[in-house]
This record gives sequence, C-alpha cells and structure tokens, in this order.
Amino acid sequence: MPVQDALLGQLERADLRTIYQEGVSSFEAAPDVEALEEARVKYLGRKAELTNLLRSIPELPVPERPAVGRFGNLIKKELEALFDVLHAELETAELVHGLAKEQIDVTLPGRSLPLGHLHLITLTQRHIEDIFIGMGYEVAEGPEVETEYYNFEALNTPADHPARSLHDTFFVGGQVLLRTHTSPVQVRVMEKQRPPVYITAPGKAYRRDSDATHTPMFHQVEGLVVDEGITLADLKGTLETFAKAMFGADRRIRLRPHFFPFTEPSVEVDVSCMMCDGAGCRLCKRTGWLEILGAGMVDPNVYGFVDYDPEKYTGFAFGMGIERIAMLKHGVTDLRLFYENDLRFLRQF
Amino acid sequence: MKAPLSWLREYVAVDLPVEELAERLALTGTEVERVETVGVPAGEAALQRFVVGKVLTCEPHPDSDHLSVCVVDTAEAQARTIVCGAPNVAAGQTVPVALPGAVMPNGMVIKDAKLRGVKSSGMICSEEELGLAPKSEGILVLPDEWVVGDLVADYLPISEAVLEVEVTPNRPDCLSIRGLAREIAVITDADFEEDLDQDVPWGERPIHEDVSIEVWDPDLCPRYAARVVRGVKVAPSPTWLKAKITHAGMRPVNNVVDVTNYVMWALGEPMHAFDLSTIRGKKVIARRARAGEPITTLDGVDRVLTADMLVIADEERASVIAGLMGSLDSEVTDDTTDLLLEAATFNGASLMRTSGTLGLRSEASTRFEKGLDPNLCIPALDMACRMIVEICGGQVSVGTIDVKSGGVEPWQVKFRPARAHAVLGEEVPASEIESILGRLGCNVVDCGEDDLCVDIPTFRRDLEREIDLIEEVARIHGLDHLPSTLPGRPEGRGGLTPDQARLRRVEDVLQGAGLSQVITYSFTEPGTGDKLRLAADDARRKVVTILNPLSSDQSAMRTSLLPGLLSAAARNVSMREDRVHVFEVGKTYHPGADALPKEVRRAGMLLLGAWAEHAWAQVDLPTDFYLVKGLLERLLRSLGLEADYAPADEPFLHPGKSARLQCGGVVLGWVGEVHPLVLQAFDLPAGAVAAEVDLDQMLALAPGTPLFEDLLTYPALEQDLALVVDRALPAAAVIRAVSEAGGPLLRSVRIFDLYEGSQLPEGKKSLALRLTFRSGERTLSEAEVNESRVAMLVGLKAGIGAELRV
Repeated sequence: MPVQDALLGQLERADLRTIYQEGVSSFEAAPDVEALEEARVKYLGRKAELTNLLRSIPELPVPERPAVGRFGNLIKKELEALFDVLHAELETAELVHGLAKEQIDVTLPGRSLPLGHLHLITLTQRHIEDIFIGMGYEVAEGPEVETEYYNFEALNTPADHPARSLHDTFFVGGQVLLRTHTSPVQVRVMEKQRPPVYITAPGKAYRRDSDATHTPMFHQVEGLVVDEGITLADLKGTLETFAKAMFGADRRIRLRPHFFPFTEPSVEVDVSCMMCDGAGCRLCKRTGWLEILGAGMVDPNVYGFVDYDPEKYTGFAFGMGIERIAMLKHGVTDLRLFYENDLRFLRQF
Repeated sequence: MKAPLSWLREYVAVDLPVEELAERLALTGTEVERVETVGVPAGEAALQRFVVGKVLTCEPHPDSDHLSVCVVDTAEAQARTIVCGAPNVAAGQTVPVALPGAVMPNGMVIKDAKLRGVKSSGMICSEEELGLAPKSEGILVLPDEWVVGDLVADYLPISEAVLEVEVTPNRPDCLSIRGLAREIAVITDADFEEDLDQDVPWGERPIHEDVSIEVWDPDLCPRYAARVVRGVKVAPSPTWLKAKITHAGMRPVNNVVDVTNYVMWALGEPMHAFDLSTIRGKKVIARRARAGEPITTLDGVDRVLTADMLVIADEERASVIAGLMGSLDSEVTDDTTDLLLEAATFNGASLMRTSGTLGLRSEASTRFEKGLDPNLCIPALDMACRMIVEICGGQVSVGTIDVKSGGVEPWQVKFRPARAHAVLGEEVPASEIESILGRLGCNVVDCGEDDLCVDIPTFRRDLEREIDLIEEVARIHGLDHLPSTLPGRPEGRGGLTPDQARLRRVEDVLQGAGLSQVITYSFTEPGTGDKLRLAADDARRKVVTILNPLSSDQSAMRTSLLPGLLSAAARNVSMREDRVHVFEVGKTYHPGADALPKEVRRAGMLLLGAWAEHAWAQVDLPTDFYLVKGLLERLLRSLGLEADYAPADEPFLHPGKSARLQCGGVVLGWVGEVHPLVLQAFDLPAGAVAAEVDLDQMLALAPGTPLFEDLLTYPALEQDLALVVDRALPAAAVIRAVSEAGGPLLRSVRIFDLYEGSQLPEGKKSLALRLTFRSGERTLSEAEVNESRVAMLVGLKAGIGAELRV
C-alpha cells in the first residue's frame, strides 16, 4: 500500500513503526470479522500499546512530544481506516457466504393465491364491445322483460307476421314477454336520440328452445348505426373490421342475402373458417365458412316508429350470439357448458 | 323444403353441377341445407347396373317354399338366373333388374350368389329397394312396352339429387318446385318455362248439380275455388308419382291424395280432396268454428275448436280445419268415387294463430300462413283435374265454383336507381337493374328522371316497396361485388359510460379477489321462496311468472341471485369440487305497478370451502362471515364507498352471523352464513357464506371523479389505543364513539385486535385501535395528539363506558 510506504518513511520512531507494521499485518491477516475485532482491540483498544503511548504523551520529555503525538495519531487514523475497509469486506464476504448456504428448492410451487375467472361470455362480450368502442360506438342497454311493441311491432314484425313463428317467445303477461333478441334496444335508443346513432347493445335474450344447440337464455350483441349516407357497403366494411379484430387479420367475410323483418336488405354473415382458412374442414362442415351473425340495412318501416326521415337517414343493424362467437374463437364444442357453471370449464378462461 | 333436381328441371333449363347450383342459391339468399342423392348412387357406371328385364320363366325353388327361380332376359348374351323372394313375381313380367356389381340405395352390393344351392346372378327389385317409395310390397312390375336391356334410369328416377332448401318466411313462392325453379332461373339467368297448361278435360255434368259453396267469413277465406271429379278409381299411384312424392319427402298415400300433394309441391298451392259423398246437404261452408266445436282430425286426435278458427264444413259439421288438417270422416278412402277438389286462400295470420293454439302444423299451413297468391287457385285446380283424370280416371264436372272477395292484380312500385346506389354504396348498371327486375317477372317501364315504374307479379307479394326491389337487385347482382367501406363518423365518440366502466370494475374486483364468475338462468322454480324460507309476505315471493315455460322449474323470474349461486355450487360439489368461490353479476326481476317489471342489477357471491387451494406451505383463512364481509368491503372501496353493517334478519341466513349493509341510509344488501336448512334444501354441505348487493344503488351512490387530497406534505401520526368495553357493545359503536370524540385531527380509526379473555373482568372485551391523526396544515407533534387523546378518553368513558386497557 503506497500510503503505508510513505508513512513508514516518515516514521522517525522505531516503536511506532513496529506498532504500525504489526497492526497492519495483523489486520490484514484476520480471516473473519471476529479475528479482525480481536486485532482491533489489540492495536486500537483502550489497553493497546498505541493508546497507552498516546495517553502518556504528557509524561514524555517535551522534545519528543510533537513527534509521538503527530505520528501516533497518524498511525491510529490509518489503522482505523484500514479496519473499516477490512471490516466491511469481511462482513460482505460473510454475508455472501451465508446466503450461499440458504439454498431453497425453487421448483416447489409458489404460495397459492386464489385466481378468479371472468365467465367466457363476459370476456367475449367485452371483447366485442371494445372492438366497436374503438370504431366510435357507445354501449346501450335495455330491459330483458319487454313489451311486444318493442320486441316485435316496432321492429316491423306485426302480430300476423310469419316471422313471429320463428320466435318461440316466453310470455309473462298481456303483451309482455322476455325479449327474444337484443334488437328492441335499437328502437329504445332511436326513440331517445336523433342521428347520428352508433351503438352496440349487449345483453341476455330468451327463446323457448332447449336442445344441443339452443339454450332458453342466451346472449347477443346488437349493433346499430344510423346516419346520413350509411350504406350496405359500410356494413360490409364494419363487419369485416370486426371479424378481423375478433378472429384474426387473415379472416375474410362474405354476405349472404337473408330475411329479417326489421332490416332490408338483410344478410347473414360468414367468416372464413379459422381452422382450415377456407379450405374446408369439420368445423366449417367442409364449406370453408362459418356463420357468425345476421345484419342488414334498417328497414324504412322501423324509422316510421321512431320518427326518423327514411329519405334522409339510412343505417345498418347487426346482431350476433356471444356464445357462438366464443365457441368459434375458443373451440368450445358444447353450448350447454356456458350455463352449467362447472368450475372445470370456468377456470379455463 | 325438398326439391328433386329433375323436377326443378321440368321448369328451368339449369345445367350447373348441383354443388354449384347450391352455392349460387346460398349466396343469393336461399340456404341449401344439404344436397343428397336419393336412390342408387349417381353416375353412369352405377346406373348401368340397373336394366329392364323380362321374366322368361319362373319356377318354385326346389329347396324353399317362398323363393322362386327365375330366368330373366336382360338383353345380354345369356339370360340370367335370379332367385327371387317376392310372392308376386311371375313369368312374362317386365321388371327392373339389379345386375351383379349394382350398389343399392341402402349400400348393399349385388353379387353372384348361391341361394339354397341355386346360383343367382342379380336381383329383381321392388320400388322400396330402388328408393322410389318408402315401403312397397313385392317386386315392381314395369309396363310391357319398356324395352328389355334399357337402363331403368331412362324411365324412372332411381338416382335423384334432392336439394333441401330453407326458404325464408318472406318467400312463400319458393315453397314450390315451380317457384324455386323461377328463382333458379333468375339467379343463373337460365330459361324458365312457366307451364301453365289450362286445358281441363271437362266432362258433361255441370258442377252446380254436385255441390254449392258458401263463404261465411271472407275475412278468413278471401278465395275458395272448387271443382268436382266423379267416377274416379282410388288406387296406389303410378311409380313415377310415388317417386316424386317420396323424393319430396312426403309419403305416398293413394293416387288422389298424391295428386293433391304433387300440385302443392309443384305450384305451392295446398289442395284438399273431399269424398263428395260425405258432404251432407251437398253444401260446403267456409265459416268460423263454433266455440267448443269438436273434430277428429286425420291423425286420430279429438280436438276442440274455438270461435276464431276457420273450418270447412257441410250443413251439419266441420270436416276440415281450414288449411291445417281434414277430419277422419271426410277423408278420401279406397271406396271413394266422387271428389270435391278444393284450392283456397286462407288468412295467414288467423291460420298461424289456429296452428299455434292447436299445436298443429302441416305442409299446407306453413304455406298459407305466409300469405299465398290467390291467383294460384285456378292453375292448381287445372293441374289437379288433368292429373286425376289421367291417373284415377273420372269426369270433371263442368265449371269452377270460385268464391272470392276481390282479386289481386299486379301493383306498381317506383324504383329510383339513385336511391339504390345510396342504400347499397355501389352503383349497379341500369341495364343490369332492368334485366334483374325483368327476370323476376316484373314489367319495367321508364317513368322519367332515370326512375323505373315496376309492375310486380302477384306471386311476389313480398315486393311492396322500393327497398324490397333494392334488396332484389343487391342479392341477384351479388353481394360479393359490394365494396367494403366504413362509415365516416362525423361527430360523437365511443366508449363506456362511467357506470358501465364501474360495472366492469365490479367484475374485475371480484375476479381479482379469487372468485369465478358464473352465469345462471334468469328463471328459477316457483318453489324457490320456500327453499329460501321466505316469509309469506316477503316481497321476493312476488315473481314475474312465465306463462309458457319450458318446464315448471323454469317458470319464475328470479328475485335474488342466491338460488342460482346455490345451485351452481351444488353442481360443483356434486362434481367433487371442495372449493367453490363464485360470483354472479346479473339482474333480478320485480313485478310492480308498471307494465314492465323493475329490473335490478345485482352482484352476488358465494364461498364454500377453504379460502386457499390445498397446497404446501399454505396458511389458510377461514371461509367465514368476516372473509366475505372483507370481500364486500373491498368491492365497495373500489367504488369509493363504505357501508354500515347491522345484524340482518334474512330468513335464509344464519340469524347470528349475518348483516345488512347500508350506505347513506340506503340498504345495499346482505352478507352472512347461509342458513343450514337452506343449504340442506340445495343439497349443500355446511359452511357456505354468501352476499348480495344492489349494484344499481351502489353505482348511484358511488362518488364521481375523485379529487386529490394532499396526504403527502404533512405526515400522519399514528397511535394505538386499547379500550376495554362491554362485550355486547358492537365494534361499530366503539369506532363511532372514538371518531366522534377524537376531534378534527383524528382521520381514521381501525380495529386491529380483539381480546376476550380471563385477563379482563367478566363481560368485558378489549379492542385494540389504531388511530391516525393528520392535519392538512402542519406536521403534528406527539404532544398535540396526546392532548386530544386525553380529551377523547374522558369522552369515551362518559359515552360508552370505555376504559383504557393498562
């Protein structure tokens, strides 16, 4: 250590030099904190030679006093500094050594903190909502117990309309029923709001039907856009955007004409099969396409019920089954799983 | 509807492969559910194994009492020996022969074989074996003029491609072979042959001598047309007719009924044939049924009619529920000789109600209820008369009885190509628009300013408005041409409302707390109130009742989420799940004075079984009242709310371990251990704890935008305090008293320990409290806080008799 060498050169007194040299080597030789502490006591403690020497300065001959005082204190400071450095080093070494012995089995599982799960219908519903929110839609809601007026009549489905026989409706009283679709929300929104209307309306719907592919309660998301200049091509672009966001950027859609009382033209929408990419497989029954929703341009008769000018405004509406979307996206094979609430199903999502 | 391809081709010259035709139909709005080959496999090679043969000799089998050994000429080098089991086989018959290698409709392959020692090389076939009829007895004997060695397929549709199409309710015209053929012609641009042969082989006797007809209720029966054919011979239909009826998915009955069904299938007009001799008083009346009027329908069911149903009756009683089903006693039987043929138009809406009330549907009613073109009646009678005379013999009485209230003539719709462009977002060329409308059977004339005046044929009653024509143009032009664009959203924004965002948070908080979300049916069984031990006058017993439930255990709309949660738990417990921690967010339904019931959004939770999953090094929390209360507090805190809890008296909860929670004077819900008797009723083990809150109320109370409070500049000062109070004194009362006595600097009081033990006087407990003092203006000193603490202790002693625990 250069400091030490320089210091030793200055040391005029052999006894101090010896103390210093012995102290340094004894500190440096200490293998652990304990030995170092012993050395400290020996060279810097209350009974150490150096301490005694410094304490005895008043008794020394006057000419010796400055040298002993100056050099004695210098040595003391140097030894103390050396002690601090070595002490810190030894402590760190001991800590490191100690930690090395505290090896646990990191392959044992972590403490179990219960993880909950949102229902797959909730997850899918949020996903659908969020896609349309991104396109500027708001989320609207309506009652599940509805009037015939909102569920049928105002949707251009009068009592004698043949389309009513398609709906197996649960009735709860005179002209009151469990809504058979989320479409009544369309009418309720348009009654309250002038165009532009950009909404989705998720929720429960009910039909008197229960078999492998129908549950008496199910979930739909309705969509409605009414504005000036809305076209069927806008519907196609919108649903294409949706299909790509939901099922992947490679998906294509196709529109097949269909019939719904409250849209005209009406279409059913297929998405190219995500399993075989349209080549034909078991999932798509070899057609390459999977039906995902029904849609169409809002029938002008519907505007009559909400006092919109059908010459000024056009719009489109669509409705999809959340269960259907979830089944396709996650490969769920049995619709009834959604309502059995078996934790072995729920925990998977 | 099943449409045999060869039948369609009688009207439309379409030569697309059937798969391509099906695709084209699907993409223009007629869904093809399946295309199947009925009969023997398609293809030339397969069909060549079925030939016309002549039975040269037919001898009894030497070793069997029911088999015959036939030598059959099939115009091959050598006649074949065929062992035949049919009792009606005889020498001299012309018969269909399946040669070795033939694949039968049921998949059986014909092979050379030995039958009881006699070599047999082929099979003489029956109608059933060739797929020409669902059932038949004996082999099919062919007309003698059929040429031996010709393919059977040249004479009979032994291999038929059948399209099964789903027709949308707006297109009753497509519920017929001719209508579907017309649609195919429109979408493939193929030639279409209307085939409206109006020749009727009239006899001599005037129809008025046979029968008269009265329509008493023209509102339910806008048209009733009838003819009489006398002297028919009822028998099985010829094979070709049986084949058509069979391939269309119906069952052959006899030649008369088969003809009426044929006409219905061909033209879409349901017909009915009466045995004229059963019509009492020679008079047919279309009238509303008398209330309670009985009828025994063809299916053998005794039915009671109501006064809004239309019947076809004679002077005495109803013989047909109009458009639905005839009665047993007016049915055409083997002994029938004289027929009344009916082709009518009935009110679709009324028929739909009748059909719904009686729970009875028929091929006829599915057509009538969609609203048929009254102009179909006469062509249907024409076709039926021609076929009956040809097939069943007889004389057509002269004349048609045709009772109608106003006719239907083509109507006109204005079509603006510019409007079509505006709706579709695509410009279809004017020439194509005109071509499409023309193919649809419309007469199109220019009526100025590029607009078209379009005369609609009466068989397209769905085309009433311009938008209907725009749809036709769009679908036939093809939606695959349509560009993809997005609406130009000019104003407004998307997003969730604050309440919608909070609802998501509610779900997220519960999920984050380790609960799994369930979704249970909104309906429950009517006995739920009993299972929950609700008092007779409990408001939750007032339910919205489903009048036509699928089953009685799904007939009451729920008034609480608890039963659904208990059922979900029970299912999982039965699946050996020992840890069921679930929640549901959903509505309950409460009848009130309004037309619609009140729908309340709620969150419910139910916990059963250990808190933590069974694992090594696991410290478990007890699943008890306090755990679920803690979850509730956490949920409320996430919405910025804090509730007061007081003992609850819900009949479905443990009376001592349940609480009602309130916020700002509003009851939000309850939490507690579920009553053991309720758990028993739901087949659940002991120990379930549940809670339910009214989310609508919670969201209404939840504060809006949180504002920043400076808790950073001046640190808070915490002190602990142990108070000894009466054991019966609720903790909430202690906190309230401390908070009130603590002065303005005391910001929060939290209980962190409870001691009830021998070191305290009898009837006392000790609560350890952590008090947080803070000032918004300065750093507090211990001395300052101690001052308010001393004052507080004095107040507490006076207020609740609390002593400082030393």
